[in-house]
Amino acid sequence: MAKKQNINYNYVFLFYDIADEFSDIGKYRVAKVFKICKQYLKHHQKSIFRGNITPSDQIMLETKLKKVIDKDLDFISIIKVQNSGSFAEVIIGNDKKESESIFI
Amino acid sequence: MAKNHTRYIFSMGELKRKDNSIAFRNEKGNFYIPIQDTRELYCMNEVSFNTKFLDFISKSGITLHLFNYHGNYSGSFYPKEQLVSGDLTIKQSLCFIERRLHIAKAIVRAIALNIHESLYHYFRHGKKDLKQVLDWLKNDLEKLLNKELTIEQILFVEGQVWNRFYDSFKYFLPEDFIMNKRVKRPPDNPINALVSFGNTLLYTKTISSIYETHLNQTISFLHSPREGRFSLSLDISEAFKPIIVFKTIFDLVGKKRIQVTKHFDKSLNYALLNEEGKKIFIDAFETRINETFMHKKLKRKTSFKNCIKLDGYKLIKYIVEEKEFSPFLLKEKM
Repeated sequence: MAKKQNINYNYVFLFYDIADEFSDIGKYRVAKVFKICKQYLKHHQKSIFRGNITPSDQIMLETKLKKVIDKDLDFISIIKVQNSGSFAEVIIGNDKKESESIFI
Repeated sequence: MAKNHTRYIFSMGELKRKDNSIAFRNEKGNFYIPIQDTRELYCMNEVSFNTKFLDFISKSGITLHLFNYHGNYSGSFYPKEQLVSGDLTIKQSLCFIERRLHIAKAIVRAIALNIHESLYHYFRHGKKDLKQVLDWLKNDLEKLLNKELTIEQILFVEGQVWNRFYDSFKYFLPEDFIMNKRVKRPPDNPINALVSFGNTLLYTKTISSIYETHLNQTISFLHSPREGRFSLSLDISEAFKPIIVFKTIFDLVGKKRIQVTKHFDKSLNYALLNEEGKKIFIDAFETRINETFMHKKLKRKTSFKNCIKLDGYKLIKYIVEEKEFSPFLLKEKM
């Protein structure tokens, strides 16, 4: 499986589940993760971020996240794709925020 | 959507530094702008911010362009110059004194060739009336430029090139968009409004690109370097106007995505784009400027936006090492 990859991934989706129900510390961790993610990616849904990101920034983001989460309780998944043209998207319902739009 | 580092703010609100990132706040709530993914911010509406915010974007190298109520460019805030070079500034000024005409001619030649390239497309598709303009651009202009000229004469030739280009619009654009005369400050009909708005956008993009080089923004060659503006941006953006601004306009008008009755301000005799019109135009403009193609010399994919910066580098090469300077030509793309 572990084949050396030469592909540069420039677009990511990030999902997180932070165990915040059991303790107050969990709530702080949610806020921390949220703050780190929004420096790099666009806020898409409550616990989902997406956006263009350079490979070097990806490493930075991952290291920062590793520092704040509780490895036994929390779960973060990052899906990497080559660019925003390499997937299709279907939107159902109302996308109020339009995180991908260049207009605000 | 293509890779994009620009955000256009069309709503009223407040820009803030929040949690080491940018937040835009208005009555609808917070909107987060990722700091690492942003290079430029355009404020097209009433937006307030404080020094804390300016200091923060300055640190991460973001340029902020401000536009007034009428959509005219009012200025830029950009981070403290990090790439300054006294050596290059001195050489650039010397170059202005000794070799100004050469650079000015190169720019005018590039404008003409790029216009030729974009008009040729319509000629090939049956608009035979363009032949006269095309011939003039290709043959007569070169003869004109080969003569000994003063800077005033070069500027006159440049004016001629643009005038003939504007005149040729009547052969291929719909009636509503025919240009009688280029009018600025303020533009008085739809096509003039589109040209002015497009040129302004390109000008600001060029400022951001030149910022990434060591060049001095105030010393220009074709335009006279006067106070109060970054005239080098005007010089460098010139060759890109036919490729980026006019290509965008022809596309939008030809496909009827922009229409006189729908996308212009009626109360001002259709001489100003309304908000929806601006959005359509900016969207097309951004797509165009971020479009990539295979660069022959670099042997990799490059966007038009990057080519503006490369033109800056070429100019540096000419100033410092006297390597031949020729602005970006659309022909080289293919």
